[in-house]
Amino acid sequence: MEITGQLLLTVLMGAFLLGVAAFLARVEEWRSYTPLGAGGGAVGESGYGHAEKPAGLIRWFTTVDHKDIGLLYGAYATIAFVVGGLMVMLMRAELTTPATDVLGSATFYNSLLTSHGITMLFLFGTPIIAAFANYLVPLIIGADDMAFPRINAIAFWLLPPAALLIWAGFFPLPDVLPAQTAWTMYAPLSAGVGNGTQANVGVDLMLLGLHLSGVSATMGAINFIATIFTERAEEVSWANLDIFSWTILTQSGLILFAFPLLGSALVMLLLDRNFGTTFFAVEGGGPILWQHLFWFFGHPEVYILVLPPMGIISYVLPRFAGRKLFGFKFVVYSTLAIGVLSFGVWAHHMFSTGIDPRLRASFMAVSLAIAIPSAVKTFNWITTMWNGKIRLTTPMLFCIGFVSNFVIGGVTGVFLASIPVDLVLHDTYYVVGHFHYIVMGAITFAGMAGIYYWFPLVTGRWYQRSLAKAHFWLWMIGTNITFFAMVLLGYGGMPRRYATYLPQFATLHQVATLGAFMLFVGGIIWIYNVFVSWMEGARVESGDPWRLEATNLNTAEWDWFDTKRETSLAATDGGEDVQTDGGQESQRDS
Amino acid sequence: MDENPGLSEEYRMASPWPLFVALGLPIAEVGILFGLVPLAVGGLVLFCGAIAGILREAEYAASGWRALAALSLVIAGGGLALLYADGATESDLVVRAYSMVGAGVLMFVGGVGGELFARDAEPAI
Amino acid sequence: MADIFDKDTLLDLTVNVIPLGIILFFVVVFLVVDPFSGLGAYGQVLSMGLLVVPFVALAILTYVSGKAIAGDEKRAEVFFQGQATMEGAQTRHEAEAEVEGEGEQSANDAEARTDADLGVDDGRGDDEAAGTEDPDAESEAADGDGGAANTDDGAAGEAEATDEP
Ligand code: HEM
Ligand SMILES: [Cu+2]
Repeated sequence: MEITGQLLLTVLMGAFLLGVAAFLARVEEWRSYTPLGAGGGAVGESGYGHAEKPAGLIRWFTTVDHKDIGLLYGAYATIAFVVGGLMVMLMRAELTTPATDVLGSATFYNSLLTSHGITMLFLFGTPIIAAFANYLVPLIIGADDMAFPRINAIAFWLLPPAALLIWAGFFPLPDVLPAQTAWTMYAPLSAGVGNGTQANVGVDLMLLGLHLSGVSATMGAINFIATIFTERAEEVSWANLDIFSWTILTQSGLILFAFPLLGSALVMLLLDRNFGTTFFAVEGGGPILWQHLFWFFGHPEVYILVLPPMGIISYVLPRFAGRKLFGFKFVVYSTLAIGVLSFGVWAHHMFSTGIDPRLRASFMAVSLAIAIPSAVKTFNWITTMWNGKIRLTTPMLFCIGFVSNFVIGGVTGVFLASIPVDLVLHDTYYVVGHFHYIVMGAITFAGMAGIYYWFPLVTGRWYQRSLAKAHFWLWMIGTNITFFAMVLLGYGGMPRRYATYLPQFATLHQVATLGAFMLFVGGIIWIYNVFVSWMEGARVESGDPWRLEATNLNTAEWDWFDTKRETSLAATDGGEDVQTDGGQESQRDS
Repeated sequence: MDENPGLSEEYRMASPWPLFVALGLPIAEVGILFGLVPLAVGGLVLFCGAIAGILREAEYAASGWRALAALSLVIAGGGLALLYADGATESDLVVRAYSMVGAGVLMFVGGVGGELFARDAEPAI
Repeated sequence: MADIFDKDTLLDLTVNVIPLGIILFFVVVFLVVDPFSGLGAYGQVLSMGLLVVPFVALAILTYVSGKAIAGDEKRAEVFFQGQATMEGAQTRHEAEAEVEGEGEQSANDAEARTDADLGVDDGRGDDEAAGTEDPDAESEAADGDGGAANTDDGAAGEAEATDEP
């Protein structure tokens, strides 16, 4: 087995490398024959055959254009979201009964639990943000492209292998089992100690995959920092930088400090697992060391995930409130404050581990302090809507849903930050409810707000409004049913991460599953809507589809879209009467 | 950006290398971690080869072959470090060390050979 | 320096002064009320460090960013977010002057007139009827035949719309 296995691998590897060489030769040939392209792009998918890019699939494999990479990130995040969502639907089905009647095995439940968390945070959350950032930041700040376009492409292409490694345990590979460590990967379980199955290579592969996704995020972050610092158009001074770019800048700063640390901790864990080191062994650094390292990364990670969505909300919500963002600079400064303070709160995840009570107290203090900037933002959003001319478009609905859910998520978080409360609620469903109000109710809602808001910009088409509204309401109601039930379960003392439970929790669990089913249906509607509308939705008829000009709220990316439309219409046939050019006013009622 | 919308669209915006940097790294990682020689060697070659390609393409390096040779030294050095560490620990690092050294040698030979005999095969800019 | 950190800027920075104040409050509390003094000095130092380091870091970042933002405000034109690279965008200065100079008069400016021309319905909360969003694919109506945005008195909204908190 050993020898033939190695031989087989060698042959496969050699064939693969030959394939790569052939592919490279082909692409190089294209490159040496194509003249520098002329002529701008066109709207919609018809525009995806540029002279300066190869056609077909190869274009997507070789692109270094920030917009293409943004779309790739978006597609990737969508796939990950579907996978993670299906996993959790299995889990919720399992939880309709107190025993393991549905999946039949608690081990499988644990595997799903682990993968769901990691998939949603690392393969959906971070990439969907990168999708928006890649597509929009250069457009908004007036940059030609990202500062390092090739690094940008590398960062994206690291992600598909990362996903394969993370999911490897679910593939029908001999002797490879899925990890069951939960997303926090606490030692000693994750170090493979004990009689369980967690010494399995499936866990190693997952750790490698996570490591790769961290490398990817770090490369992306460096790129965004360089882009925002050096590639801004001249008019875009620090005072003029928009709030979304501010949040991306802050997020990138957080990534730069947090992810390399995760990477190192993962390497240490891998060494513990495979080479007999004792970083996290009881006789060495101790399991608590892992928790410190993990949460030093992990808490900033939650803000890495929430800051850019907050930026999207701060950017989109005012457009449909008919007025400028209230207290713009408050929002900017509080974003930066969150960025710094998020490194000083990590041990609020460790209150019940028996660390020195004085350290706990300090972490509690900073955790309470960090709630202020979050609250400031919330008040600014509410004040922006106050007395505004609110237009309840789908993106706006998602924005309002964000604010509403973030209030609940934030308030439950502040309670958890208080040591005596946390000692009661730690590791219960209350915590699960808390962070899902934020990761689902807020972060994902902001992602949807962004997707619907910029859908016309990216595709040149409209999504179907009634489906979008159905999506929103299913999700708004579903989120609150599911996760409020979890908050209540937590109050009742239901511990998290179990496939089975006492019969007294059955009703609330069934309620939560009902809510999850609404989320599932809403998700299907969303996918269908985006997909079908992209293919055959009604074409956008104006360069200012959201009619932002009327309230003087339009922004650079729509300006770009407008001009691009005109250029391409002029280039094709100009069949549509948008050439009046008498200012956007006349186009508005075309 | 205002006056020239989509200006960026007029640059050539494709590069074949990033994909392979991103494929080479995980293959090499898996190979080295689990001591699978073909994966380790192949992954490293792919990884370093693609980096050399990018360095050439971005004109950070005058010759992709020479860049490859330079990278090969780093890899071989890493292998030697592992070999040294093998003596200091109980774990068996020899296979991993030799596959890194081997990959380094392979790439060095490839780099020097390419530089001498295959300058025409330089990727176009 | 004093001209960068004028009253307006300091007011902007108060958002970050509040968390700083909270941290400071706890520093004092933990120094005065010290129920765990029996546990030795090391933990004491660590726990103070955990408060002092974020405090100092936040203070520095607030100062640096305040300087960068307020400095650029003084140095160059200030636009509303996302509008800096747009041709003919209104600067914040202009918007404020308009609001202050004309007061309610500004209700007569260009936007308001256009809206009147287009026949504005009040549209509040019922904006789908006005077709301001996407028409359904079937309903094919070019976007927005229902009239412009629901700005029945667009400029009043405008008047409150300055970025200044
Ligand atoms: C308002 C500020 C917030 C405070 C004070 C806060 C506080 C806390 C605390 C104390 C815990 C630990 C609970 C426990 O395990 O016993 C926790 C858990 C968690 N929080 Fe928050 N939180 C806040 C905002 C957020 C945000 C914005 C996110 C996400 C983007 C988030 C995501 C999470 C996650 C994922 C966990 C669970 C981690 C785990 O798996 O154990 N929190 N939060
Ligand atoms: Cu936290």
